[in-house]
Amino acid sequence: MVSGLKVGLLVALASIGLSLIFGVTGLVNFAHSEMVAFGAVIALLLESTVGLNGALFPLAVVLAVLAGGGLGFGLERGIFGPLRRRKMTNISLMVVSIGLAFLMRYLILIYHGAEPETFESFRIQSGVSLGPIELPAKDYFIIGIAFTTLLMVGLLLQRTKLGTSMRAVSDNPALAESSGIDVNRTIMWVWILGSALASLGGTMIGLTQVVEWQMGEKILLLIFAAVTLGGLGTAFGAMVGGLAIGFASETSTFWLDNDLKFLIALAVMIVILLVRPRGILGVRERLG
Amino acid sequence: MSSRRVVLESKDLVAGYLPGVDILTGCNFKLYQGELVGIIGPNGAGKSTLVKSMFGLVEVRSGVVQLLNEEITNLAAHELVRKGVGYVPQTENVFPSLTIAENLQMGAYQLKPNEVQERMKNITDLFPKLGQRLKQRAGLLSGGERQMLAMGRALMMEPSVLLLDEPSAGLSPALQVDVFENVTAINKTGVSIVMVEQNATRCLKISDRGYVLDQGKNAYDGTGEGLLHDPNVIKLYLGTMAESR
Ligand SMILES: Nc1ncnc2c1ncn2[C@@H]1O[C@H](COP(=O)(O)OP(=O)(O)OP(=O)(O)O)[C@@H](O)[C@H]1O
Ligand SMILES: [Mg+2]
Repeated sequence: MVSGLKVGLLVALASIGLSLIFGVTGLVNFAHSEMVAFGAVIALLLESTVGLNGALFPLAVVLAVLAGGGLGFGLERGIFGPLRRRKMTNISLMVVSIGLAFLMRYLILIYHGAEPETFESFRIQSGVSLGPIELPAKDYFIIGIAFTTLLMVGLLLQRTKLGTSMRAVSDNPALAESSGIDVNRTIMWVWILGSALASLGGTMIGLTQVVEWQMGEKILLLIFAAVTLGGLGTAFGAMVGGLAIGFASETSTFWLDNDLKFLIALAVMIVILLVRPRGILGVRERLG
Repeated sequence: MSSRRVVLESKDLVAGYLPGVDILTGCNFKLYQGELVGIIGPNGAGKSTLVKSMFGLVEVRSGVVQLLNEEITNLAAHELVRKGVGYVPQTENVFPSLTIAENLQMGAYQLKPNEVQERMKNITDLFPKLGQRLKQRAGLLSGGERQMLAMGRALMMEPSVLLLDEPSAGLSPALQVDVFENVTAINKTGVSIVMVEQNATRCLKISDRGYVLDQGKNAYDGTGEGLLHDPNVIKLYLGTMAESR
């Protein structure tokens, strides 16, 4: 159960950026899962070659998140922003993102190698019990960080001017521009935020499992399921969807083979979408 | 009138959406300080396109747009908002998933929080109905309430020039009267207004001057009264004489 919660929080963390970016630009970014892997690989690199391990490991995480933000900035500035301003269709942009995903995946393969690795820090830990549950210390750390981050993202979106402008641009970019919002600047912040969150999610996923070049490919389906399930384009939907998918896939391993857990996640998605086609939090706008 | 300053002007405007297809084919337009100018014309004439191209939302291919003495051709809309131009689109003019309060706040995105509070009070004084439902999502509002909110949002920056694209469209006759009264009242406070209207007769009645647009060009212009009684305009755009009375 707790492991379901943990995986759910991490999937949520990794998915929000995908949903936010879709919301403000309409781009279905297939490279998002590679942005997740990017974070894990950078953190691993900082730990093993720069030596940010043990007590310094949190610094590696922070730097990986910043690098993730930088990656988002670079992708928007260098690729997606210019293409969007040239009025490329969303389908073409999606194809570009698929190409980018392959490129990133193989760059990771070249620089990181084909061998799965684990973080040195926190590798072996004895359980710490808290009431009826006993978990490795790192799991408290992971759950705490993921939960706090999700809460802060929620507050950012609901309570701040920048967050409200992100929702406004999601609703209607032309109207946002007409209201006086610098839409391109808002979209840039969404890329930075979404990519930084993907990096954080990736690092945390790497901490619970392994870091490998195919990790993006493996998580791709989960985050897409989470985002679709929650309702495309809403960050809260991605949170709820991520929790549901993570939870469903983890808890199913109690009675099903481990390899089937992705199938369960997808089955849950399909069933829920049959009942609520716009996703759990997707809302229908009043017409007229 | 002509001794007054020109606040907004477009000269020989050519603009369009798709490559190679010009919707405006040489449009000339002037708005003097403090004026209320109506733009009428058949569906598809390019009325919305004219307003949008002056506001930086449609690419201007040739020609010039000027705000006071400054050239603003193809400047981004958010820059024009900073320069004191407000715009209310014809459709989709509120943020449906945002609350009414958030919609208004977005209208004053460039201001400091304390100023936003003050402006919000002014707007809710003008539209008390909005004030009572600040926490409600705009997507749940009726057509008339949306129009009010859209107007309120555009007024948050206290613009000196206001562009309105069919503010009365889809409203009941009683609400249309309200809208025209509001527009006149806002104009009386010194805001120069451009109003595109489907309801041509009523629009020209309250306008200082009017433009009749046809196929991407201004076909006629003159004072509101003058156009109302121009036989050509009546024949082509105002329908039968009986209707225009
Ligand atoms: N986003 C768009 N992309 C391509 N063509 C467009 C777009 N918007 C409008 N047009 C075309 O431009 C022409 C003029 O449209 P516009 O909306 O300016 O007319 P209008 O005078 O405002 O009409 P209405 O009275 O119906 O509002 C139309 O032929 C329309 O099909
Ligand atoms: Mg129109």
